Amino acid sequence: MLSMQNISMVYRTETVETHALRDFSLDVEEGEFVSVTGPSGSGKTTFLNIAGLLEGFTSGRYSLDGKDTTQLDDASRSRLRNEKIGFIFQSFNLIPELDIFDNVDVPLRYRGFDSAERRRRIDSVLDMVGLASRKKHLPSQLSGGQQQRVAIARALAGEPRFLLADEPTGNLDSAMADSVMELLEDINSKGTTIIMVTHEPSLAARARRNIFVRDGQLSVEDAGLKVAIGS
Amino acid sequence: MGPIWRALLRNKSSYVLIALQIALTMALMVNAIAIIQERSRLMGRPSGVDEENIFQIYSSSFDPDLEYQSMVAADLDLIRNHPGVVDAVLTNSMPLRQGGWSQGLAIAPGDNSDAVGVAIYFVDEHGVGTFGIDLIAGRNFLPTDVRWFDPDGGPRWPETIILSNAMAMALFPESTAAEVIGRVAYIENNLPVTIIGIIDRMQAPWKEWSGVERSMLVPMKRGDDFARYVVRTETGYRDEVIPQIEKALADRDTGRIIDGAQTMNDVRAAAYLEDSAMIKLLVFIVSLLTAITSLGIVGLASFSVARRTKQIGTRRALGATRRSILRYFMLENFLISTVGVLGGAVLAVAINIWMVQIFALTPIAWYVVPVAMLALWIVGQLAVLGPARRASQVSPATATRSI
Ligand SMILES: Nc1ncnc2c1ncn2[C@@H]1O[C@H](COP(=O)(O)OP(=O)(O)OP(=O)(O)O)[C@@H](O)[C@H]1O
Ligand SMILES: [Mg+2]
Repeated sequence: MLSMQNISMVYRTETVETHALRDFSLDVEEGEFVSVTGPSGSGKTTFLNIAGLLEGFTSGRYSLDGKDTTQLDDASRSRLRNEKIGFIFQSFNLIPELDIFDNVDVPLRYRGFDSAERRRRIDSVLDMVGLASRKKHLPSQLSGGQQQRVAIARALAGEPRFLLADEPTGNLDSAMADSVMELLEDINSKGTTIIMVTHEPSLAARARRNIFVRDGQLSVEDAGLKVAIGS
Repeated sequence: MGPIWRALLRNKSSYVLIALQIALTMALMVNAIAIIQERSRLMGRPSGVDEENIFQIYSSSFDPDLEYQSMVAADLDLIRNHPGVVDAVLTNSMPLRQGGWSQGLAIAPGDNSDAVGVAIYFVDEHGVGTFGIDLIAGRNFLPTDVRWFDPDGGPRWPETIILSNAMAMALFPESTAAEVIGRVAYIENNLPVTIIGIIDRMQAPWKEWSGVERSMLVPMKRGDDFARYVVRTETGYRDEVIPQIEKALADRDTGRIIDGAQTMNDVRAAAYLEDSAMIKLLVFIVSLLTAITSLGIVGLASFSVARRTKQIGTRRALGATRRSILRYFMLENFLISTVGVLGGAVLAVAINIWMVQIFALTPIAWYVVPVAMLALWIVGQLAVLGPARRASQVSPATATRSI
């Protein structure tokens, strides 16, 4: 489903070379819920960005859904992101000047659905995250937890195969974090593959599989992590 | 387009100013074009004479024993025989010179009949040929029609005149040019003159005069020490003939000053100096304002792109291609410009109506408004292109990398 082989990623600035990922290999199967933990600066976001086709990489191979992504041009990568991948961000990334309805509409418009189809999908995902009554609200009129639910609705509206989340609960208190986590688990149970970066050991532990990144490398998978987080 | 428009409305305050600026630019542009068109139309009116090949030159005598009539005869003889010269005439003025003589002409004698004002050009039988005007009916003067003005009791006016077609139609609105030939008009209330010819067109010397197309050729020579000669040359010889004539006249008789050589082109340029300066000024102001407006658009768009970097990254992450980001900012600008140009159209028409009332300007041609709208739309799209390009280059990774 998602297959990375010997990916390395080097950021070059004028003064330093940062090896954000080195020789990173990982396979994620359809329907998995993978949590990614690791110290700050270890390369978690870099991994997620590459997985989500938000940036390229220096060397290695990455294929998504059986398709090699190395040769894809920018437009095809955009289309893949739009059709197959849903993103959830730590700071929600809702568009402040658009109301909730229009925010969820953003990826659907890029997809080219007609307005009836878009309306149907928006109503259904907003209903699912329990915010159907807030369609005309602006993001600033919602709580953080509600905003993240809108962001999840937006990520799900296009029915992606993958959901990539970078610290989705990082800006939420524990009660709200818990409800977001429940939502993600629910989504995963319906078949969507989820990869979630988190700093919360308790949340990471709820995923079916954990990976630990240190110094741009996959440290110990699965069992190893359980030791690391001491559960 | 819906969400872009709604997003714009939520940020009204930042876009209202630029829309207003576009509206003002548009209003000014339209009215400047209206004024420029009006002035150009006035400047474009033909004087009726062969402007490219005509020049004038003066002789002012200070010799107290001057024999004026024989001096003029000798001068004209010299000029007319000069190589490159087509013809020359002694006259009192020429079109666009802004100074001349006018008189009233009536179709019935008597103190109470309505006289029509007409510009007078005193010429001899060489007048038609020198000015290069076309006779459309009747005949030119014969040498026998021409007389010298005699201040000591001779007849004040000759018996024949040639009218411009506009003057003929002003006197006899129901007639054709040919029908006017042989008719009698009255000058100074009671003195009859017979119309023997109609010329197509010869403007009066005053360009602002409402009767600028009404003129009359009178076969009379007059003067005592000052003589104005108008000379027409073969095409292309004017500039080399002028100094030759100046020198030949000065050499022929030393008791005078030869001066004031001026081409008809220069006479026209001087007459329309203010108008062409006005046109240049308006073009400058409108260009400057358009430049300022487009800089304003560049500034606003750059600011808006910088402010929305994260949003752009997010849109890219959600599947926007570079093209759709570019399109977003172009469309946003188009919407702002549309508000601006629509407001500008209303403002432009309002100002124009006001100017028509106050300055008696002719109303703007209908097409000027859409043309100016189109121009400002294009200016806006060009101005926003740079910032929009930059927006489209924002990396999708900005979505996760920026705070
Ligand atoms: N655009 C960039 N240019 C240069 N270096 C970068 C860039 N992005 C990331 N890095 C570096 O790459 C390394 C990995 O960064 P990354 O953001 O993947 O870490 P992370 O595990 O997500 O950390 P955190 O938990 O703090 O979010 C860091 O050393 C970071 O400074
Ligand atoms: Mg990170």
